[in-house]
Amino acid sequence: MIRIEAIVALGCAVFCIGLLGVLVRKNLMVILMSLELLLNGVNILLIGFGLHLQSVAGQIFVLFVVMMAVAEAAVGFALILAYCRHRETYNLDEINDLKG
Amino acid sequence: MIPMIVFTFFAALTVVCSLLMILQKNPMHSVLYLAFTVLAIAGVFFTLQADFVGAIQLLVYAGGIVVLYLFVIIIINLNQMKAERRKLFPTLFLVAVPVLALVELCYVIFGRGIEHGPEGQVAITLPQLSGELLTTYLIPFEISSILLLAVLVGAIIIARPGARS
Repeated sequence: MIRIEAIVALGCAVFCIGLLGVLVRKNLMVILMSLELLLNGVNILLIGFGLHLQSVAGQIFVLFVVMMAVAEAAVGFALILAYCRHRETYNLDEINDLKG
Repeated sequence: MIPMIVFTFFAALTVVCSLLMILQKNPMHSVLYLAFTVLAIAGVFFTLQADFVGAIQLLVYAGGIVVLYLFVIIIINLNQMKAERRKLFPTLFLVAVPVLALVELCYVIFGRGIEHGPEGQVAITLPQLSGELLTTYLIPFEISSILLLAVLVGAIIIARPGARS
């Protein structure tokens, strides 16, 4: 028997660490990785509440979130590849032009 | 008692590895710690009796996304690794926002507690899960296949060399 408060605290901790990474880091790859952390924190919360409320919906929503994470990673990598082929940098300070 | 110990172990592993992940200077090391984090989170899912989702987490994240990260970092070779510089005040502000959010969330959760649900934590079986997925959630399930197809085509078109010409 795992207390729901512990599960929620873990989910929130992972989410906040991911948020910290997104805000503080300037490397594009590390920011994308931190986005994965955000999604994983939400997944932990969904599974914890699904277990707590005896509901199937939690796990089903986790499946959808994982699918969305895959889509986001694939498109994000494609964009990074296209940009780096063009500009040869992925420091966020130098990626500041709208016109290529 | 034993589930709580196992859960604490995996939870500590998750938090430590994710902190290390965002603190690494080299993105390659970050990917390594991301893999550790994902594996630890899969362990958390197994402890929470979500076997199927834990297996999906292992297959999709550890087997797919982490390897994708590795390949992209290899393709864009990062020999110009610049130190990330930021002034002290913005850094303090940016660190304070998530930390204060976490403190407030923990204060609310542990201070007020969460209402009790149904008694006992019974595992949700795979037939239950798949039955619900293919009846109530059938339309989102089908739409997600369209999304994945769009992502497949879009990623290839964007990343193709010479796409700009």
